[in-house]
Amino acid sequence: MSRGRALIKYCLTRLALAPLMLWLIASMVFLLLRIAPGDPVDAVLGNRASEIARTALRSKLGLNEPLLNQYLKFINDLSHGDLGIALINQEPVRGIIQKALPASLELGIFALILAAIIGITIGFSGIFRGGGKVDFAGRLYGISTYALPPFWAAMLVQLIFGVILGWLPVGGRYPPSLLQPEGSGFFILDSLISRNWEALQGTLRHLLLPAITLGILLSGIFSRSLRLNLARTLEADHIEAARSRGIKETQVVLRHALPNALLPVLTIAGITIASLIGGALLIEVTFSWPGIAMRLQEAINQRDYPVVQGIVVVIAGLVVLVSVFVDIIVASIDPRIRY
Amino acid sequence: MGLLKKKLILTTQGCKKRKHPRLAILTTGLLILLSQASCKPNRISERIIVASAGKITSLDPAQANTFHTLQLISSLGDTLYKIDKNGELKPSLAKARPKISDKGLTVSIPLRENILFHDGTRFDSEAMAFSIKRFMRIGTLNYVLDGRISDIETPEPYLIRIKLTRPSSSLNGLLTSINLTPISPKAYAKHKDKFLNKTFIGTGPYQLESFKPQQQRLVPFSFYWNNSPKNSGIDFINLSNSTALFGALKSGEVDVLLSNSINEIQRKALNNMSKAGHLREGEGPAMEIGYITFRSNSPPLNRPDLRKALIHSIDRKQISKRVSYELREPLRALIPPSFKEIKNTPWPRYNPKIAKNLFLKEGYCNGKTLTIPLTFRSNVPADKLLALTWQAQVKRDLSNCLNLTLNGVESTTVYRQLGKGAFEAVILDWRGAYPDPEAYLSPLLSCKKSKGMICLEGEAAISGSFWTTSWIEKAIRQSDFLQGVNRKRKLFKIEKFAAEGAAYLPIWLVKPRAWSQLHLAKPEFDGNGHLLLQRLRHIKK
Repeated sequence: MSRGRALIKYCLTRLALAPLMLWLIASMVFLLLRIAPGDPVDAVLGNRASEIARTALRSKLGLNEPLLNQYLKFINDLSHGDLGIALINQEPVRGIIQKALPASLELGIFALILAAIIGITIGFSGIFRGGGKVDFAGRLYGISTYALPPFWAAMLVQLIFGVILGWLPVGGRYPPSLLQPEGSGFFILDSLISRNWEALQGTLRHLLLPAITLGILLSGIFSRSLRLNLARTLEADHIEAARSRGIKETQVVLRHALPNALLPVLTIAGITIASLIGGALLIEVTFSWPGIAMRLQEAINQRDYPVVQGIVVVIAGLVVLVSVFVDIIVASIDPRIRY
Repeated sequence: MGLLKKKLILTTQGCKKRKHPRLAILTTGLLILLSQASCKPNRISERIIVASAGKITSLDPAQANTFHTLQLISSLGDTLYKIDKNGELKPSLAKARPKISDKGLTVSIPLRENILFHDGTRFDSEAMAFSIKRFMRIGTLNYVLDGRISDIETPEPYLIRIKLTRPSSSLNGLLTSINLTPISPKAYAKHKDKFLNKTFIGTGPYQLESFKPQQQRLVPFSFYWNNSPKNSGIDFINLSNSTALFGALKSGEVDVLLSNSINEIQRKALNNMSKAGHLREGEGPAMEIGYITFRSNSPPLNRPDLRKALIHSIDRKQISKRVSYELREPLRALIPPSFKEIKNTPWPRYNPKIAKNLFLKEGYCNGKTLTIPLTFRSNVPADKLLALTWQAQVKRDLSNCLNLTLNGVESTTVYRQLGKGAFEAVILDWRGAYPDPEAYLSPLLSCKKSKGMICLEGEAAISGSFWTTSWIEKAIRQSDFLQGVNRKRKLFKIEKFAAEGAAYLPIWLVKPRAWSQLHLAKPEFDGNGHLLLQRLRHIKK
């Protein structure tokens, strides 16, 4: 079988297995939520409501049904693309996700771009000055950012740039004095489309602190993996062969070494993207960023079963898609990979 | 590799002298640009930004049950009556005080005329009856009515008659509850039996211009029947944590900050800033109490003397100092002092000697230590600090008699397990649904079904104490038949009796606070502890 056909077969198999994986995840979430102590009725009514009120709400929310019936209904709805209705405010779960996901994606994309720029720059500078001060500082940076607790780093950044210096807003996604731009939910895009420069400036100011914090925290892993892989590749035989053919050193690095060294970085980027789809919980909570992770946390606290189930299933689906996509890219770049 | 290194080092060294000044200039330039472009946010609008913790998911008065949601609705809607600063009932949408007839079973309330809802429809008795009946039917907090209301009649366009199942003097307090605010029957026609979450059509000083879970925009209602708001509008925003809220006020991003969910240390910092003249601080009436519930239906705390010993072992003053920097007032009563003309404190003071004697009497201290698991809500920082401080006090004063082991549980789980008797001792708080002493006694003490001194069904069981007596339930019912001084006397007697029962241990009192920037007037609160948004105003320099 040719390599291209093997890749298509691999991707199709992965995609065909996705529903099975989603079913397993959805079933596990369904069960775990029911096992967890607490009840959505308590979250809605408080613990002092009368038994009549509790029974009425339980019946209205369908929680009085046997667990198996609830499960079958959930799976049936899910198979039809219906994620259900939030128990707390009767809002469709699909709408809740549509509102929260763009916020997380916007933050994630910017953080990832920053992480890649910072990480690759530091990784490169470390290789050029191997064993020197720059290399040492770069390695220290990589370890430190990897070891930093995100909430602590976020609060520190908030305190310095938001509270003490007052340069940037400490939280939220948009200036409170302005009305949020309507449209796709990606505020930068919406502001650009509507040419609302005030909104664009406000959005960017709010995005800066969380994106930089998240970007710096993620950049360590990029710099470390790039440095390690580039150093290893530069010692490979094909690099020596290229040098001996008199190819310029810049071209040796950029054309012959970098593509090979970037492959593991690409895989790491894929995993990072997948984890960012689920939102960076601690960053979102610290910066009051209304993303999917914060919405998930709220739903867990309120024991809002459909919202938790819906968000988890959607995140899982997106993670599968991203990982398949990354596999395709890696396979198309690296001819050594066999499926 | 060596060749590459050499080459690269040479290249970078060669460039060093030329590149660094450029880089330094670029970095400085960027920093200056950033600092200039993003110093204080540009505020063209005269609108006032008020920040609070927590997200608002519904603006339906039948659904609302969180403090910040009720705070917002109190600016969008009116109530039939209001409680003034002196705790007196004042007519608001009602024209006069309620008239009671038919042996206390009928309450007649005349309504004001010429009042409009935000959708332009007229407020009348039909609208009022519609709103109360809807709350009775679907209200999440409808249990506060406790089956008091049997029917609502509208004999005249501006007169409603509330038919009661039993005489109820606490109804006056209930009529000040914002959950019973009138809503437009026309706007809610399709939502008679379901919630309308993202809009609110009431009669209040503001009308809702836009609703987002984290930002609500209010504009003054042009046809408001009473005094118009003193500002050009409010942007009510919700941030998720205390640090973000604190930082937003300190950086000038928000104008007013409400104290709910602000950490103690940040409350103190804001309090200090207002004392130093950097902010203005407003304080509302104390409506929230913090207390500990003891489970009285099983050993070892089914022995009243052990509960009394625990009560004597707590030093509230020190706890208030250590946990809240004295911003939470020590409390030795269940009823907040603002509802009392005489300052009575039925719970005993801190006295480790009495505590030790009681433990000795029960057979502890001489080589036998009583171990009590103390549960606190892990997501409420003040609870944990309280538990740790009390544990340290006990270690210091009564180490050979008592040992407190701490147990942090998430609040949703605590509420779920409370009525099942899962906690020996648990730290909780309570905020009366309406400003009345009864709203602090019934929810903790009333009991529908009991066996001896154990409550099997009712509020005392839901509260996790399971403590009751046949007298206390009777007395609570009787108090509802009484009026004025006699009623208050009865309620204070019930409170005293509860103190002797020692199933609850009041700790402190929490006053709502708000801080505003210096360009605004001092924030003011109403008798229900809600910030009066309509009174927020800019001060001319």
